[in-house]
Amino acid sequence: MTSLARLTRKTLTATNYHHLLRRTFATESAAAKTTTASPPITPSPDRVKWDYRGQRQIIPLGQWLPKIAVDAYVAPNVVLAGQVNVLDGSSVWNGAVLRGDLNKITLGFCSNIQEKSVVHAAWSSPTGLPAETMIERFVTVGAYCLLRSCTIEPECIIGQHSILMEGSLVETHSILEAGSVLPPGRRIPTGELWAGNPARFVRKLTHEETLEIPKLAVAINDLSKEYFNEYLPYSTIYLEVEKMMKSHGISI
Amino acid sequence: MGTLGRAIYVVGSWIRGAGQAVDRAGCALQGSHLFEEKVSRHRTLMNLFDKDPVVDKDAFVAPGASVIGDVQVGRGSSIWYGCVLRGDVNSISVGSGTNIQDNALVHVAKSNISGNVMPTTIGNNVTVGHGAVLHGCTVEDEAFVGMGATLLDGAYVEKNAMVAAGALVRQNTRIPFGEVWGGNPAKFMRKLTEEEIAFISQSATNYSNLAMVHAAENAKGFEEIELEKSLRKKFARKDEEYDSMIGVVRETPEELTLPDNILPEKAQKSPA
Repeated sequence: MTSLARLTRKTLTATNYHHLLRRTFATESAAAKTTTASPPITPSPDRVKWDYRGQRQIIPLGQWLPKIAVDAYVAPNVVLAGQVNVLDGSSVWNGAVLRGDLNKITLGFCSNIQEKSVVHAAWSSPTGLPAETMIERFVTVGAYCLLRSCTIEPECIIGQHSILMEGSLVETHSILEAGSVLPPGRRIPTGELWAGNPARFVRKLTHEETLEIPKLAVAINDLSKEYFNEYLPYSTIYLEVEKMMKSHGISI
Repeated sequence: MGTLGRAIYVVGSWIRGAGQAVDRAGCALQGSHLFEEKVSRHRTLMNLFDKDPVVDKDAFVAPGASVIGDVQVGRGSSIWYGCVLRGDVNSISVGSGTNIQDNALVHVAKSNISGNVMPTTIGNNVTVGHGAVLHGCTVEDEAFVGMGATLLDGAYVEKNAMVAAGALVRQNTRIPFGEVWGGNPAKFMRKLTEEEIAFISQSATNYSNLAMVHAAENAKGFEEIELEKSLRKKFARKDEEYDSMIGVVRETPEELTLPDNILPEKAQKSPA
């Protein structure tokens, strides 16, 4: 015990010392920075300002090809990059970004990720959990959510504007209210309602509420079907591109 | 081209013409509910009259991002998918090696009202997390702005400081060197440890490596994409375990290998 105390005291003083040292250097460098400019910007003439293809929806990286199940709905301006699996019946709504370039992202059966959400995966998580982002079945992830290497077990609701940081775990039948922030490695036990920044326990969910959760997911799935039917398997943009190329005299 | 080839080509164009006629008939049947798809008119880099964005040749700007007006992006920086950098009323400068992650928004305060000129300055090797909103603020070198953080006008993040995820930094707040601020409104939480400071610069380098891969992928032309698609199909493999079980060593074609530095085990060994 005493040795532990001594060790902590030692590290404390050491960090303080370092801190002061750094601080003096920082002021010096801040003063120096006004005179030295950052490396000059050399613009490239062949940088594309307008890509007629727009943003590609599916971006493979190396061998990793994002996979979308045949009956999953992915909105046209969503970006799926790297190791992303969108399983049956799930939906990804407009403006969302799922970027599985460091680790795997799985969106389970009948779950949905709503508008402008970002799902990313880190290399490693602070807890023992795998660093991949796992969203299981019947999960509703609200609009503007930010998910990074978290695990969401079946039948959960993540409210709008929530932030889930590395290694957080949301167990079955839980609800996060809108705007909640989960710090790294936080676990939400089953059947509880959490809210706030950082997230705090609010109350237990009643049985009726837990029964409602999959119903919400299914309702959103029904809505996504309507959207899915609106899009044909192939777009007809290529015709317009051909026409455009012809009018500019570019051979196809 | 032989005569037969020519004949087939002509027949092909007849059938395509017929297909287009069928398409038009379908469109006519759909009537007022028809939505005709157009070529994307999204502009990645857009100038407003004389204010045009200056982007370094080594920077990555995702095609889905919009960089508008007076914006300067330095070497090795990356602007990820769905980002908006809108320097319409004032200037934005992004240093070198900085990454601004998906769906973030950088905007500036209205210029020259009550003498307050507030350009947005983001230093070198800064990590701006997903969905962050930076409005007329200054972020110094090697700072870290967490996911979903909001920095309002005149916020100042000093070197090596960190804004925690989901924080809202109020007007004219100064976050000192090496501190973590979080909550709404943002308050001092704790000091950063040495490791965390090292992690910030490491994360910036990791991200610039990763950006290079994405930049290469996004810049590919149609033919390259098709070639890689076929290669991927040809060299499709089951997982490593399956291969080792049946004793097969599979090779990956050159086009499909990613550079080493983005793979986790390689990058972690590299010095910070």
